[in-house]
Parts: sequence; structure tokens; C-alpha cells
Amino acid sequence: MRSIFCIFFFPAFLLGGVFEDQVVPILERSCLKCHGGDKTKGKVDFSEILTEVDAGDHLDLWETVLEVVELGEMPPEDEKLLSSEEKKKIRGWHEEFIKLPVEIAIPVFRPRRLSANEYKNTLRSLFGFDLEVGIARAEQTESGEKSLVLKILPPDPPGKSGYFNDTYSTPLSSSLLENYTYLAGVSLDRLFSKKGKESLSRMIGQNGDWDGKITPSLAEEIVRSFLPRILRRTVPDERIKAVLDPLKGKQGKELVSVLMFELKTFLISPEFLYRGFLAKPSGKKGRQAVDPFELAERLSYFLWEDMPDDELFQSARNGDLQDKAEVGRQVARMLAEPRARNLSESFGVQLLGLSSIDDQIKNNPIHLHAMRTQPRDFLHYLFTEDRPVMELLDSNVTFVNQSTSGFYGNDRRRLAPFHKPRGIERQRTMNQRLEIKDAEGRGGILTMPSILSMNHGPILRGTWMLRTILGVRLGEPPGDVPAIKPPPRGKKMTFRERFEAHRENVTCARCHEKIDPLGFALDGYDKNGRYLLASYHKRGNQPSIDTSGKLPSGEEFKDFEGLKHILITKKRDQVIRNLTSQLLSYALCRKLGRGDQSVVEAISRKATLGNLTWKDLLIEVANSVPFRETLFSQSEAK
Amino acid sequence: MSRNWKIERRTFLRGAGALLPLPFLNLMEANARSGDLYVSDPPLRFMTLFKPNGVHPPSWNVNGGKENDFRMSPLMQPFAKHKDDLLILDNMGDFGFSSHSNSTRRFLCGHHQNSRSASVDQLIADQIQGDAPHRSLELTTEGLFVNQIGCSYISYDKKGGMMPRDSDPQLIFDKLFRNPLSDPGKRAEMASLLDRVSSDAKALQRKTGVEDGDTLDEYFTALRETELKLEKMGPLDQGLESSKFARLARPLAPSNMDEQVNAMLDVISMALWTDSTRCISYMLGNSNSRMIFDFLGIKKQHHYLSHFFRNFSRENIDSLLKISLWHMEKFDYLLNKLKSYKDHNGRLLDHCVVLYGSGMGHSDNHTAQRIPVVLAGQGGGKLKTGRYLRYSKNQELGRLHLSLLDLFGVKQESFANAKQPLPGLGGGKFDEFVERPYESWVKVDSGVMTVQGRLRMSDNLDEAKVFYIDVEGRNSVRMEIGFGDFHSRNVAYHVGTPIKLTGKTVEKDGLTILNKITGLESLFGNSTPGKAGG
Repeated sequence: MRSIFCIFFFPAFLLGGVFEDQVVPILERSCLKCHGGDKTKGKVDFSEILTEVDAGDHLDLWETVLEVVELGEMPPEDEKLLSSEEKKKIRGWHEEFIKLPVEIAIPVFRPRRLSANEYKNTLRSLFGFDLEVGIARAEQTESGEKSLVLKILPPDPPGKSGYFNDTYSTPLSSSLLENYTYLAGVSLDRLFSKKGKESLSRMIGQNGDWDGKITPSLAEEIVRSFLPRILRRTVPDERIKAVLDPLKGKQGKELVSVLMFELKTFLISPEFLYRGFLAKPSGKKGRQAVDPFELAERLSYFLWEDMPDDELFQSARNGDLQDKAEVGRQVARMLAEPRARNLSESFGVQLLGLSSIDDQIKNNPIHLHAMRTQPRDFLHYLFTEDRPVMELLDSNVTFVNQSTSGFYGNDRRRLAPFHKPRGIERQRTMNQRLEIKDAEGRGGILTMPSILSMNHGPILRGTWMLRTILGVRLGEPPGDVPAIKPPPRGKKMTFRERFEAHRENVTCARCHEKIDPLGFALDGYDKNGRYLLASYHKRGNQPSIDTSGKLPSGEEFKDFEGLKHILITKKRDQVIRNLTSQLLSYALCRKLGRGDQSVVEAISRKATLGNLTWKDLLIEVANSVPFRETLFSQSEAK
Repeated sequence: MSRNWKIERRTFLRGAGALLPLPFLNLMEANARSGDLYVSDPPLRFMTLFKPNGVHPPSWNVNGGKENDFRMSPLMQPFAKHKDDLLILDNMGDFGFSSHSNSTRRFLCGHHQNSRSASVDQLIADQIQGDAPHRSLELTTEGLFVNQIGCSYISYDKKGGMMPRDSDPQLIFDKLFRNPLSDPGKRAEMASLLDRVSSDAKALQRKTGVEDGDTLDEYFTALRETELKLEKMGPLDQGLESSKFARLARPLAPSNMDEQVNAMLDVISMALWTDSTRCISYMLGNSNSRMIFDFLGIKKQHHYLSHFFRNFSRENIDSLLKISLWHMEKFDYLLNKLKSYKDHNGRLLDHCVVLYGSGMGHSDNHTAQRIPVVLAGQGGGKLKTGRYLRYSKNQELGRLHLSLLDLFGVKQESFANAKQPLPGLGGGKFDEFVERPYESWVKVDSGVMTVQGRLRMSDNLDEAKVFYIDVEGRNSVRMEIGFGDFHSRNVAYHVGTPIKLTGKTVEKDGLTILNKITGLESLFGNSTPGKAGG
């Protein structure tokens, strides 16, 4: 398979022979027999990778190598396995290697199919209405999928980046095409029916007096307004003409049916279903700025998961988007629009893995609603109200409704009262913004009840924090991982003590020395997110729960507040680097490569030093080289 | 191959009147067959049913047993009545341990590293589609596991990409039997639509600009497949489609998972029977399924329970066995359905190959050996069923797949790591596992019993605490021990193997029951293989 990265970077820095001295001998000893020279099983050939420069040409390969070696899949069972020392050498080199600064490298442009959500939102923006399934459900029952689009389209798996908008690896199947055709048909039928009159008149600027009849001139009007929005860019005259020609001389019903047919061909065309088929190369060789409409599209799908609006189109048409300040202005404007909600609903939910809340709370829709909306509302607030990046972990603002207010002590008295209609016992309520003053042990995402209850227990909590907040990937536990030993007979051991024993095993310690201190620091919260230590503190007692710990990097803390302090000070750059790289990956809809590292570094350095807000960070990403520029295959550097 | 067959059936169906309920229709066709309506062979179908989370080997494995002389294990009891239609394979798998995602890939791809080719069902689908309008269906019960995405897919396209899966039985039903395209007018419109889109896209292809052959090719492939589908729903069916399908009952919206799975199995059977498709893969859950079987009264997640050794408790074992039995019942449900439909000169199952199983053996320590694999149906006479094939050596699943490819007429030299097909499926010779011989006997001396024989679980999993030791020439010794013995002697580990056991007995209902173990020795294995939880 062709690597999507066009490699033309010049490694300015190398690790000075670490690869050659430490990794190459292992490869020669254990891998070359099957993967080199005559035999190249799985098309892997290590005989051509002799230096670190060579190694840099095969970035994807190393991740696979680490994974199969870690899982003990390679070398195969009849060969000698690598010793843990050898594994450590490869891992150690790789960890350092990928951190090395390299010149920015941009992958060759590839069109990408709209994700199910992007398609749904785009269809709504095009037509001005939502397609919903025909069954009404009561609020109290578990709600099935309401959107007809999401009901019909099978869910796409997340791509290599881990994000759903990375659809590069999921093929378009014929049954999917059939579904798209069906949805296009349903939308058009509705648009040209009585129900769609309002949307249609808005589209062509008719007022309330319009009788709904489609005259030839109105049909032309529809084509001229619809086509550029379907294709998300200005459409050349000859293309418009090709659509108008078949309409000539048609009247009434026939006119409408031909018009619908023509529009339908566009709604199932690759130019609509994919992003980027119409992107225009500038003609010059090498890296180049994307055309203004492509940039507009990138912005709108990034911030809104949706097509550009009129103002953004206007800005693209005028050529204003070349100006970075204009991009900044557009980002600020777009964040203030209601559609910016999709940034937290999509990026935010995927970043924090919030969809697992849905899987865990099955039979209580009201509780589920509270648990789902709390972190989403909080993220929306951070993203759109210009809050500093680190407020994700440390904020005195939260969002609370009737179901979650109990977690916030006396602070809840400042909430506006919730009214219930007579005869209703429990109901969903909107979240209210609440400033935390008295409530102990709250503030920031880590101590939010929904996050705490999403991850039961210290191990899940620690793993989640490590991966999501600090950006450390652990890989799967080894297949033959031993169980956590029960305490010896007659001896009482806490869960924590049992894990301390577990860490005595070197294999286990590798991950658990990272996981455990983070997770056990949250032991002051029960599985529903209740803060257990509050009552101890109130009575002035010494808590019997040990939440102290020591990170592998040496920092010690005595409780969760201490850990949080470390996270927002000493670990601040690590947290920000992780968030930046996640955001960039989501914006680009792909997994980041080594050629993106310097971009991530530059933005996160700026964010760390300048105490940037989320809005600043979004603008930085939108103005970054990989977001604004691209590389076309015919201009590929040889 | 079967245009004739189709005309005959469809003409017949039209004649059968629009309001007959299904079973009656079925009956009529059964009567009609004596008229020798059929001139061509019926099409062969391929159906896969995937069981998540491996198995609990003590209750799944067949103890001892020979090719034609074996006793189905406790977990197999729900489908034991179909014994004559089954081919039970044992000693299938790879070496070593297996992650959940590797085991998912292994199930239909033969080996976890075979990740750049199509899965076996997709290769077969291409071969056997014939006149069936839908090339294949990829179905599932559970949503995507975003963190371990490999665990959510068993079917892969020819580049090794994940095939999107559908999970709503009503939607599948509508797609198959209430498809708007069954209307000739709609079909004509769709055909001209595709025509136009195709020529527009070709223009796009010629244009300079983004050159991405792969992506556009993918679009063209989908276009072509859809055009083909239209042809197959084509002129033959005019007016027939509606009358043919109108009688099929649309499933109701399911209220729990059990109903959902039954509804899906109903739709699957209808789809195969009406020749709407000939190839279906269906996952009863993701391979590390975390479904909660609340309708069985179980509150814990399946994956947690499946680690029955680590998370040991009597209650957990009982829950796991209940869930496992439910999986077996679904297989039974499918087989019953496939038998209930008359197809050509026989039952639908006769013209099917059903592959049931998992990609992993032991659900707790994730071994990739002794993976549960059962084939059902005679595959048009190409499979000799009613047998138990325990191979002497571990057989990679790829060999089975190579045999299946051959059975369905796909000519291929190798699949995954396999260069040779799996022997024995059609009744030919295979290298059978031979157990070392041992003697079995019982001695009782003043309340102390010593017994040598094969240990097994009770066939009745409702009494999962009860074990038997089989002794030749007499009734098996029943063993009802307490938790302490079960736990400290690691009794579950020895299940299926010959042991020598000493213990105290008690008389109960006229039977001598061993109720306390004082000594346990494995004849050929390790007598103290480690303790539960250790």
C-alpha cells in the first residue's frame, strides 16, 4: 500500500547512532531471516533499513513492529522471543526518535468521504430541515436514533487517527450508495412538497405570498442557488448550463420531476459525498496553499462538522481567507454560531471518550441525560467562551442540572429553581452554569461526576487520565497477564495494596507504575462520583482513604488536589501538547505523522507560554501549515 | 445457474395467492415438489454465525470421543438434536495466546496477520452471488467498540478494510423485501440516474486536479455493483416481486436483545430462502462483547464473566454458562429455521453451509487452540455431517477456509498461511487424535472411594456444580463437592481428562455420591496446575 506521506524531510537531528548500534543488531539477529533479502514476509524488508534515515522512511512500520513485538506475536512461536531488554531498546529508540524535530511534511491530498455526521449536518444545511424517523417517542423511554440519516447509514469505524471524520479506510459500498440515493430522494421529495415550501422559499428568496408553483425562471433560480452549495464552491457556467438545458421548455409537474432528477445526480455524485474532489491545484510544484473554497470547507467541517455558511462562502469568493487575520476572525465568528455546538459534540466527545457513558447507563434516560450533557456543556463553554486551555482540568465553573446538583453542596442553592409540572415525578432538566465556591473536591473535568462514574475504579480512571489527558498510549496488556493476586489467607489487603504487590512484577510495573498513582488519587470518589472525603474534612477527621502517590517522574503528592496541581504546573506542557496534537489530528481528519510534530511543538509551546485560550488554539490550528496547505500528487517531489 | 429454478419458484409463488401465511406456503411447496418442478441445482448458501468471547472449555469441549462415536458436550445440548446435520471440528486454531482483536480477524481471515485480503465470506460471496440481488449481508448485534475497533468486524473487503455492518432487523427486512427498487418505474429512474452520475464522474476523472484513482475507483465499483443489483432485480421480477414478498412478515421492533437476535435470524432465514442473498455473516456480539444479559437476570458484562478463572465465583460461572447456553440456543434457533423452509427437493439447510464458532478458545487465558468451530448443513452433499473431527495436530483456521473456498468453487492455491485444505470434511481420511490408553475402575473401601476415569461436567448445566467420572462398564460416578474442594483442587482444569481421584462418599437417593475429595491425580497431565485466582 502506498504510504500517504510524501517523505521529503531532511532530518536535521539524529540520535547519533542509537538506531545503528542498538536496534539494527536486534533486527539482524531476530528478524532478518524472514524479513530481509530473499524472503520478505508480509512485504517487510529490514535489509534495506540500515540507518536511522532509512528508518525515518518507514514510520508506519515501526508502530507495527512495536505492537507485534510487544504482544509477542513476532518473532513467531517457533523462534526465540525478544528479551525484555531488547524490546526496551527498540521502544526506547522509537520514543526518542519520533520526538525529534523534522521539517514539516505534508501528505499528498486525498479526497475523503463525509462521515455519517458530516453528511447528516450537510444535508440539513442544504435543505433547511432535518430528516427524522417517523416514530415519536416519549422522553422517559430510551430514545432510539431520531435522525433518519444515522438510522440508515451504518456507523463508520473511527479511522487510524481514532476520529470518525477520518474515513480514509472505510470503503464506499454499493449498499451505502443505495442509502445515499434513498436519502437524497427523500430530501428532494420533501423539499418539493407542501412541507418543504418554507425551506424552498427561503432558498430562492420568496416571501410568504409565494404560491409554491415552480416556474421555469424559479427552477433556474433554484439550480443557481443550489448547485454551488451542493458542490461547496462556485460552479462554472457550463456546468450550470448542462443542468439548465434539460429543463428548457418543461412546465409544471414535468419541470419539477426533471429538476429533481438533475439535483439528485449531484447529491449522489462523488463531488458531494466526498470532500476534496474539486480542490484546485495552483499549478506550481510542491507544497501549496489550498484554494479558498477548500480552506472554507476545512474550517467549517472542523468547527461545525458541517458545510460552510453564506458568510464563509463570501469570504472565500472574495479571496479574504488568504489573510490569517481573516481566518482568525472567521473562527471567532463561527464559534459564536449555534452550529459550534458540534465541536464539543464531536471532537469533545471523541477526545474524552464520552460515548461510553451511553453504554453504561441503560435504563435510566433521565440520569443518562444528566451524565451525558454535563461534560458536553462544559466543553462547549470552554471552546466557545474563550477560556484558557488548562481550564479543562482546573475551572471553577461547571454545569449542573437537577440530577447532578446534589454533588455540589451548598453551591446548588444558587441555582435557579427547577419547576416540575403537576403529576411529573422526574424530568430532564437543562444544565445551569454554576460557579463552584463551597463544594469540596470539584472543578475541572477530572472530578466531574459523569467522568468519575464513566470510569469505575482506580485502574480505569488512571488509564483514562493517562491516555486522554497526558496522551500516553500503553498498548494492550500482554496476553498472558496474570490476575491480580488475592491476599494471602488470613491477611487483609486493600485494593491498593494488592496493586502494589502486582507492581513487583516487572512486566506489570511497566504500565502500572504509570496508571496506579493517577487512579488511586481519585479514590476519594466513589463509583457514582460522590466525594467521600468531604465528611471527613467536615468533622476534622483524618481520612482513612489513602490518595497519595508518586509519579514515575518523581513528583509526589498527598491527595488529588496535589496531583491536579502537578498536572497544571509541571505536566502543563505535556497536557497541552497532547490536546494540541489531538485537535490538529481531528482538524486534519487523519493520524498525525512525524512531519506534523514540529507544528504540534510550535503551537503547544505558544499555548503553554502564552496561556492561550481554546479559541486561540483553534485559530492556531486553522492557520497552521498542514491545515492551510497541501500537496497534489502530480506535484509530488521525486 | 439457476434462472430456471427462479422462474419456476416465482411463477409458483405468484400462483400461490397473496394472503397465505408463510408456513402454509411452505407446506404447499413441499407438496408441489413431487411434480418434479425443478430442472436445475439449487444455489448453495454460506452463513456465518460468530460467538463472542471464546468459550468456557470445560463445558464446551467434547470429552474423548471418536469420529462417529462421541457424546456432545454440556454446552452443545441446545443444538444436540441437530447432530446429524453437524460437523463438529476440534483442535482448530493457532499456537499461543490471542488478543480479542486478533481472534476476531482470525475467525474469517484464517490468521490474524492476514489483514490485506478479503475474509473468506467475501470471497465466497463474489463467487456465488449468481442471480441474487444482494451480494452479501454483514450483520451484527452490538455497536462499535471505538477503542478496540478490530473487535467489531469479522468481514473484510479485498483490501482488508472493514465491511460496514447493519444491526436493525427491520431495516434489513425493508432493504430486502420492501425495497423501493422492486418497483419497475423506480428501477428505471435509478438506472438512468446511475448512468448520468457515472458519466459525470468519468468527466471528473479525466480532469486534472486531484488525482486519486483509488478513491474514485471505489466509487465506480459501488456504482457498478448497484447497476448489477438493478439488473438482478430486473425484468424477470416484474409484478412478481411484490406478490412474492408481500407475505413475509416484517419483524416487530424488538424490546430486548433476545427478540432482536431472533428477529434477525428470522430475516436471515427469509433472505436465504427467497434467494435475496446467498452469503451472510452475523456477529452475536463484538469479540470482546460487553453486553449485559439482563433478560437472563444477569447484571454483569459478558466480557468480565468470560474471564471466569480470574473473576472466579460460583455465581459468575453460573452466569457465564447461562450466557453461553443462550449463544448455543441462537445457533439452534437458526438451524430450526433453516430446516423449516423447504428448498428445492429438500430443506434449506441442505443447501447451506453454516459456520458457527469463535476466533478464540479459552475465554480466560485467551488461548488460540481448540477454537470452537461447528459446520452445519450438507452444502449440497459436499459435507458429510453427523461426525466429530478431532485432529491430532492443531489446524489453522485458514485450512478450513481453503476447504470452504474449494467447496464453493473459488479456485485459490492458498489462504492466509494455509497451502492445503482441511482434510476429512467430505468424509475423506484425516489424522485423528488418539488418546493414550488408560484403564478405568472404581474401588470402594469403608466409605472411601478411589476412582480412575475421565472427569466431565454434568450434561445439565443447571447443575453446573455436579461432575461425573466416566468408568467403562458401569454407571458414571457422580460427584457433588463443596466450593472449597472445587476451588482448591482446581477441578474445572481437569475436566475432559483422565484422573485418579480419592474421596469420601455418601448415600443419597440410593446412589453413592462422592462428596469430599481427599486426593486428585492427573494421569497424563499436571496434578496441581495452579489454583483458581493464582
